[in-house]
Amino acid sequence: MSAGRATAIVGVGYSPIYREKGIDSRPLASQAAKDAIADAGLTATEIDGIFEYPGLPNEISITMQRMLGIKNLASFGDYASSGPSGMAAALGAHMAVASGACDVALVYRSISREWGQQSGQVHFPPAEGPSQYQLPYGVAGAVIPVMGMKKQRRFAELGGSEEDYGHISVNARKWSALNERAALRDPITMDDYLSSRFVAEPLRLLDCDYPITGACAIIITTAERAAGLKQKPVLIDSTSLGTGSRPDWTFTDDFIFGGTREASDLLWKRSSVTPADVDVAQLYDGFTHIAISWVEALGLCGIGEFGDWVDGGKTIGPGGSMPMNTTGGQLAEGRMHGLSFVAEAVLQLRGQAGARQVPDANVSVVANAHGPQCGAMVLTT
Amino acid sequence: MPVPDRYSAFYWGHAAEGKLAIQGFEGSDHVQYPPNAVAETPDVDGAPIPVVAAGTGVLYAYTVLHQAFHPAWADSLPYVIGLTELTDHPGIRILTNIVEVDRAKLRSGMPVEVTFEDRGTMRLPQFRPVETGDRA
Repeated sequence: MSAGRATAIVGVGYSPIYREKGIDSRPLASQAAKDAIADAGLTATEIDGIFEYPGLPNEISITMQRMLGIKNLASFGDYASSGPSGMAAALGAHMAVASGACDVALVYRSISREWGQQSGQVHFPPAEGPSQYQLPYGVAGAVIPVMGMKKQRRFAELGGSEEDYGHISVNARKWSALNERAALRDPITMDDYLSSRFVAEPLRLLDCDYPITGACAIIITTAERAAGLKQKPVLIDSTSLGTGSRPDWTFTDDFIFGGTREASDLLWKRSSVTPADVDVAQLYDGFTHIAISWVEALGLCGIGEFGDWVDGGKTIGPGGSMPMNTTGGQLAEGRMHGLSFVAEAVLQLRGQAGARQVPDANVSVVANAHGPQCGAMVLTT
Repeated sequence: MPVPDRYSAFYWGHAAEGKLAIQGFEGSDHVQYPPNAVAETPDVDGAPIPVVAAGTGVLYAYTVLHQAFHPAWADSLPYVIGLTELTDHPGIRILTNIVEVDRAKLRSGMPVEVTFEDRGTMRLPQFRPVETGDRA
């Protein structure tokens, strides 16, 4: 268990999700924030902390403060892109509330398809600094080439099949069919997965998440305050970060898992529950390789055992023993970049997930990112 | 084209002479790649020095790019990117293209050796399969 005041997530808000380009994400961020505040039964004047990721100049926390007309903040944080996606800001808010730096923290992640779509890059800086060892060899498009290598190395070292990866992709659409907010709701088959084009072979197009424009927000306060608010409180049971040794996406010691194993070990060491207690899992699927890494790192199955564990996809689908990524994740709901996994875990533990509700969900594990920037949380009711 | 800096000048300088060198430190056996401003290990304070490597290794991981994310590479598709673990420095992995290779024969663990590609005024280390039979 973490030191300091016990914390809880008491509000969740979303903007609509857009596939179109050219939409300003700031009004969407404001809308998601206002929805989360209203969902908690609070007013904006009660927010005294704002935390966001990834610190883009036009959408920092004081930008949000202005949009909400909040007079002053006791604490705020703009978390750089080196952190575990949207969860970086949630972990910052959790620490601020636990420590007493603030009492009611708003966390948001808004994302524009333009920014998220690396292939749409139009500026190509020279190959200096760390990129001098990669860009001259055609390593561009963010982590896509290295993610291809990680998938290949996993096959070489741990075995498994293309279908293992395909189950993550097919599963996303099973769940997104039940999620009206999702960008991609048409079901896909294993054949669709296996015939999707290679981007960085063996990485396929359907191993990659889907860029969208949208925003997501949550509210974190003390467990004590949460008890008197509108919604059933969802407690932050434990949190962790993990970087791994010689942290880097490419030149690192644990090439397949990055820091997921260290983050997982720390998470369970600090938690009041165990992997066997998890009712629903929300594991980052920016690439399918990341989700498989987390399943094994978190001990939901053994290392290299994902293929058997997933049981043809049954384990992680609706009605399965470990329902996973119940919004459709970033592969299907859209690349909300991390925070939406936290938000969905909250809705599941409240019993408010509608058609995709997992029965009797009391414990959820949430994980974000991979490589040198891993983060995880256990949420309980 | 790589842009050398004060810590990497030796790497590209050795490459220009047809040598693969990684970063070591005076008074220590510690080596690392990519080069850094300091040794990435406690208790090593010596000045950085080049350590010439044998130039042989095994392919650790690879990918075949089918989509160019940089316009300079659009005409090169598909191309192979790989991490080579050096035979004489286990744990040190160098990223290059894997050249002169039959893509159907790519596999983790295949023996590879360094070769050098002229690019503009520079030479870039690349790796290729050791067995002639594996080359395209």
